[in-house]
Amino acid sequence: MSGLLVLEVRRALRDPRYLLIAVCMPVGFYLLFSGLFGSHGEQAQGLPQPVELMVAMVAYGAMWSVLSATGPRIANERAIGWSQQLRLTPLREAGVVGAKIVAALLVALPAMILVCVTAALSHHVRLPAAEWAVMLAVMWLGTTPLALLGMAIGRFVNGDAAFAISMALYFVLGALGGLWMPLSTMPQVMQQIAKFLPSNGVAVLGWRAVGGQGTIVSSLAVLAAWSAVCGLLALGRRPAWIPPLRVRARTVTTGIEITP
Amino acid sequence: MSKLAQAARLPGSFGRGWASQEDRVGEEPPARGGADRGLAVSVDAVTKTFGSTVAVAGLQLDIEVGETVALLGPNGAGKSTTVGMLLGLLSPDCGGVRLGGLAPAAAVACGRVGAMMQDAGLMPGVRVGELLGMVRRLYEMPAPLAEVVEVAGLGSLMEARVDRLSGGQAQRVRFALAIAGSPQLLILDEPTSAMDVEARQAFWSHIRSFSTAGRTVLFTTHHLQEADAAADRVVVMAAGRKVADGSPTTIKKALGRRELRCRVDGATAPDLAALAGVETVEQSGSRFTLHCTDTDAAVRALVASGLRWSELDVGGSDLEEAYLRLVRSAA
Repeated sequence: MSGLLVLEVRRALRDPRYLLIAVCMPVGFYLLFSGLFGSHGEQAQGLPQPVELMVAMVAYGAMWSVLSATGPRIANERAIGWSQQLRLTPLREAGVVGAKIVAALLVALPAMILVCVTAALSHHVRLPAAEWAVMLAVMWLGTTPLALLGMAIGRFVNGDAAFAISMALYFVLGALGGLWMPLSTMPQVMQQIAKFLPSNGVAVLGWRAVGGQGTIVSSLAVLAAWSAVCGLLALGRRPAWIPPLRVRARTVTTGIEITP
Repeated sequence: MSKLAQAARLPGSFGRGWASQEDRVGEEPPARGGADRGLAVSVDAVTKTFGSTVAVAGLQLDIEVGETVALLGPNGAGKSTTVGMLLGLLSPDCGGVRLGGLAPAAAVACGRVGAMMQDAGLMPGVRVGELLGMVRRLYEMPAPLAEVVEVAGLGSLMEARVDRLSGGQAQRVRFALAIAGSPQLLILDEPTSAMDVEARQAFWSHIRSFSTAGRTVLFTTHHLQEADAAADRVVVMAAGRKVADGSPTTIKKALGRRELRCRVDGATAPDLAALAGVETVEQSGSRFTLHCTDTDAAVRALVASGLRWSELDVGGSDLEEAYLRLVRSAA
């Protein structure tokens, strides 16, 4: 399993889309939003704007890393038959799944750390070492349900659609989860919706770790619920109402080829 | 049963006999666990249907350790379905499959089986060498890397990105992955479909060197030539059934009947059909086409018959037609 894990991480880091979307976008958004809202001072969660936004963008970057390393890849691997090839080796199903999840989480780390470095350099964000560590650790583990969500997408959707769905989720969960705008600036209904989204759950864990106010109990519950549902979809038996995906059609030739 | 099949069932014509259900009647079913220990593959009355399509119907197939067996048949004959069941990717509706006495999934899990599937993809975004190294490490006793690279002809490809390989190159990588674990049983589904002639020849010589080490090879193909060149036993499948089973020579003899065309004035088809070596006769005016099991005998008989023949032409093997007749007779 470790060999597969290493390869999974390597290929994810070699993917230019990873660099562009997971790394550049959160960093760019951080610089953009902190420039726009920087003067507003204290925000929701009782955190300084640069810190609050940093945590939001860490969640945002992590989200794309785990979604892109799971959904589109698994769908594609299934379509081209790599999943089947792996099944013909002694590697167990659990090993394949485990490598995918761990790789997706590992790939999220560079994007997360880079946002922190940007915040420290551009807005002089300073935190005690323990807070940095706890914040990154809880947010990192908090992305697990998103990895499972990606695996569920990869299992039930075809390659291109899986990429589109992951992309849409990335933006929708980012915007509705309060990662782009502080939730307090949103209408009441949106604030209620946000509380049930895993993106918001991850951010709340991070905000709390760096001294934010508010409870993490409901966030933990939300993340646990998403983990359970997505985990079941990704790893459980295929429900009868979802038809199995067809394996790539073969070229049909007629008869037998015989050379005298 | 067709005339051809009957002819082929004559005593001594096949080492293994033309297999049909009748051949197996009265044969003791192998005792569970013990008796099939010398068998690399044991397929016992296996049936698999997809919806209303019967892909494999009551297939019976035993392969001894060390044999190289070709599974020959047209598309839709049930070859790939059979391979899928051998590897545990599909489960039979009824009947049993054992690989070296183990269930397919168990045999795969302990690394005894290497497989190269027709539509197997390769992990994108990695280099050939990285992929091969990873797969080798999944096995307890992998084949030496140098040997795998040599046998699969990957020398110049190790640094190449998997997604930038040509069809034939990718096929070589698939083959390397299949033999990476030094498996006792190698199962190949249409292994040469993406290869050009040269690559094919090289590939089959690799397979032969692989099988000389006492290992068992089973491959599917719809090229009779390949089956002939690479296998020491050919199993012909049609419409989900085994319709022939024997050495390449005997299969070729049965399939490769020849035609004798001539003009005969004042003769009827039954006259010509009565000649030695002739099986069936087609008539078009005074021109006849004689389908022969033995053209030498037929020519001799024709000359000796006193018929007024002319424009004699001994045609090349019409293997395809013979094959299709065999397939039709099984359907």
